[in-house]
Amino acid sequence: MDPARPLGPAQIDAVAQLGVSTILLGGIYALIAVGLTLIFGIMRVVNFAHGEFLMLGMYLAFWSFTLWGVDPYFILFVAIPLFFLIGLLTYVLVMKGVIAASHNVQIFTTFGLSILLQNVALVAWSGDFRFVRPWHLSVALRIGGTTFNLSQVVAFVIAVALTIALIAFMKWTHTGRVMRATAQDRDAATLMGIDTDRVYRLTFAIGIAAVGAAGVLVAPLYSVYPTAGLQFVLLSYVVVVLGGLGDMAGALIGSLIVAAVEVAGSYVFGIAWKEIFYFLLFILVLVFRPAGLFGQRGSETLGA
Amino acid sequence: MTALSRHAGALVLFGAAAVVPLVVRDAFFLDSLVLILLWGALSAAWNLAGGYAGQVSIGHASFFGIGAYAGAIMVTRFHQGPWLGMLLGVAISIVAGLVLGFLSNRLKGPYFALSTIALSQVLLIAVSRWRGFTAGGEGIPVPFRPGFATLGLGHVAWVYLALAVAILYYGAEMYLERSRIGYQLAGVREDEDAAEAIGIATRKLKVIAITVSAALTSVCGTLWAQYIGFVDPAYVFSVDLSVRFALNSIIGGLGTALGPYLGSILITLLETYLRATFSGLKTGFTGLYLVIYGAALILVVRWVREGLTGIAARLRVRMAGGARGARAHA
Repeated sequence: MDPARPLGPAQIDAVAQLGVSTILLGGIYALIAVGLTLIFGIMRVVNFAHGEFLMLGMYLAFWSFTLWGVDPYFILFVAIPLFFLIGLLTYVLVMKGVIAASHNVQIFTTFGLSILLQNVALVAWSGDFRFVRPWHLSVALRIGGTTFNLSQVVAFVIAVALTIALIAFMKWTHTGRVMRATAQDRDAATLMGIDTDRVYRLTFAIGIAAVGAAGVLVAPLYSVYPTAGLQFVLLSYVVVVLGGLGDMAGALIGSLIVAAVEVAGSYVFGIAWKEIFYFLLFILVLVFRPAGLFGQRGSETLGA
Repeated sequence: MTALSRHAGALVLFGAAAVVPLVVRDAFFLDSLVLILLWGALSAAWNLAGGYAGQVSIGHASFFGIGAYAGAIMVTRFHQGPWLGMLLGVAISIVAGLVLGFLSNRLKGPYFALSTIALSQVLLIAVSRWRGFTAGGEGIPVPFRPGFATLGLGHVAWVYLALAVAILYYGAEMYLERSRIGYQLAGVREDEDAAEAIGIATRKLKVIAITVSAALTSVCGTLWAQYIGFVDPAYVFSVDLSVRFALNSIIGGLGTALGPYLGSILITLLETYLRATFSGLKTGFTGLYLVIYGAALILVVRWVREGLTGIAARLRVRMAGGARGARAHA
């Protein structure tokens, strides 16, 4: 855009459209990232397999839609408890054994898990790109010169509702307080009689339930394939670091920032370059505000 | 311990690698050997930063990719020899290594690891999109021109070249272990604050270790590209590759000179075996071997935490323990 040119109606609409896109995208990124910020913040585990659970959620939506014609947004009622159980199971089988190990061991364990899950999907469902096309994807909404489809809006509303529910859970329930206490100081929490193993188990299960739900929600908006999670996992780390680890409200704001960078970047420089901006943003944030924009307590033990 | 017993493992390993091409002429076998040596050398280069200095990077594919592309572009675009490309790659990697070194002084642990991934992703995207110069996502086929100057070598020659690099890196790390800098690096790794308190220039040391590690990685990147004959950004800058460098060292033994090579043997053989036994052609399931590989990875990382060299050292102590223990208690 030529900055000297006066803003006509077309430019104003473009800006409004970009703004709406940013908010819609940000809401979905937030749900993906809150699960990660929980796991990273409380368990201090870098979970590289996070995106793979998103991918599994997408496949759940795809198969239930293709085989039984169930709308992805109804599948959520099944997906959330199902992924909670998957999270519990993964914690007991894989994560529990390495929770006290070094970061190296944890990183490579979750990386192994990521390879495992990606290829289980490849073996079971092949590498084809699949699409979920429910009726609401083709319903366009036009408000004040901006256009978006109903699926995006519904996904956004549900994602934000779930995120806010989680934030409320963390803030006002006893379990939530216990989890936050563990995030801030693991040793002190243990001394206060908190069963950290239970906290970790619960954290992992909730985190995976959130990302599984996010997978179901984004299934109509992105193509479904075994490595679909990869594009989201690195992005989620940008959000998590921006927002401060374990800080769920921060993750919400971080998601909006990342979405804004992505939307504006692809508008100005073309869609091919969009990822490079959030990685550059990521490095800048790590260098200048490693504890997050708001400086989360407890992050120094992770090396921020 | 005498010098001979200290190097016994390396003597057996490198000795076997030197003798094998004289006896075996099977191309598949020699190819595996070249790759084991190259992956081992790459992992040894990573080990300098990740093992000796304790700066675990999951972005070393950055330097590998820089080396690979510098060689390939020098040959195809500027019609110069790959050796010049190797030099250029080293120069660029030193600059990128300084950037990573700077990051290592701002960040620790998982944060540093994440920043290294971000660096490799930035390079991946930049090389993929800068079509005019790098040929973008399609990659560059590197032409085969016979001769040492153009690195157009047969399998046997490649074995010896890879072996030379492997021995060089091994020797450098063996020397480092016993040098003043080596002990200072161990201090940085074990307790940075304490090391700084006794006057070790920890920040400078970390930058040096990472930068040298980057340069050594880049050299192998150029060699690899010339050996394989093809570079593409999605592979040479991939996180998978970075993980592989780290994994060999971790499984073999972090911060040991021989560890990366042992890890490379184990992982490369495991991968080759699984790929041959559970390939898509044989089982009808593409990716089945990677399912097993992923599961094996989880188990190996959990059970071989101290690395193969650590296990070997413990066994040796136990075996010698009878005699020595008796003397100590007397």
